[in-house]
Amino acid sequence: MIFTELWEWLQGHPASQYIGFTWWFPFLESIHVIAITLVVGSILVVDLRLLGISGLQYSASRVTRELLPWTWGAFFVATLTGFGMFVTRATAYVENPAFQIKFLLLVVACLNMAIFHFRAFRAVHHWDADVMPPPAARAAGAASLVLWIGIILAGRWTGHII
Amino acid sequence: MVLHERLANLLTDSSAQELALYLLGNVPGLPPIAQTVHILGICIVMASIIMVNLKFLGLALPSQNLSEMITRLYPWAWWALPVNAITGLLFVIARPNRYFFNPVFGIKISFLVPAILLAFVVYRMNQKERGYWDHTLGRRISGRIVAGLSLVLWVGVLMAGRWIAYSEYLFY
Repeated sequence: MIFTELWEWLQGHPASQYIGFTWWFPFLESIHVIAITLVVGSILVVDLRLLGISGLQYSASRVTRELLPWTWGAFFVATLTGFGMFVTRATAYVENPAFQIKFLLLVVACLNMAIFHFRAFRAVHHWDADVMPPPAARAAGAASLVLWIGIILAGRWTGHII
Repeated sequence: MVLHERLANLLTDSSAQELALYLLGNVPGLPPIAQTVHILGICIVMASIIMVNLKFLGLALPSQNLSEMITRLYPWAWWALPVNAITGLLFVIARPNRYFFNPVFGIKISFLVPAILLAFVVYRMNQKERGYWDHTLGRRISGRIVAGLSLVLWVGVLMAGRWIAYSEYLFY
């Protein structure tokens, strides 16, 4: 595994040991759950709008603009709490297949978001109020839905392997 | 005997427990899959009840209409909550003593019941009268109080839900 020394150093840090052996771990874990359900809940609303399923009386850009700050805020909290849990057993997590799949899916989800943002969403003024957005936007919404469900599944599975 | 002890006794060594244990132990990946479905149900509660509560408090979705949001979003929660009851009960039935004799599970349920009742009241009044929560100053204020209380209760449900597995940190 690459960066083995880094993972070992992180794991050996007194703060990591402290989290791992005290109530800090379940505390971070419960905040992580609140954060990820807010991340995926808000993404779900945007995806369903892009798929032309729900929230159709509002334009796609308005739904996106008003929800994404919540998504990013919660994502930030999920990253911090996730990192706090990760360092307690970093060397085991990086070799955990569920954890690896989770991060692979996160990268794909980011790419999907970037492609949507710089392509279909760039021309949003052409289709903003349309009940049924163009195929590229629908595809991004569908992919996002599947990817985020996969990320939750792989994340939850991580705890069953370690 | 108190209710939770009766329920625990009723389920212990029952055929329902046998079935739940068999399914969890023999269907490949069922525990994480059922937990994921449970978490997705919470995502839907977040996108519906929680977002509407934040809207009540003037914190989210400024350009959407409150009454319309309640009508559109709450039915999603009415589907998600029964699904979460099923996925949750699978684990409770499999190991009744782990839950019914766990004070954290008791806390979760005692937060969950009023949280659902509040959500139901918000929905019901809005269905009876469109814009119910917007029509008078008194209702706008009560709506905010209900929303604040509901947020606290749901955070409690989520925190307690995750801490069921760690109750020894709190009680032993």
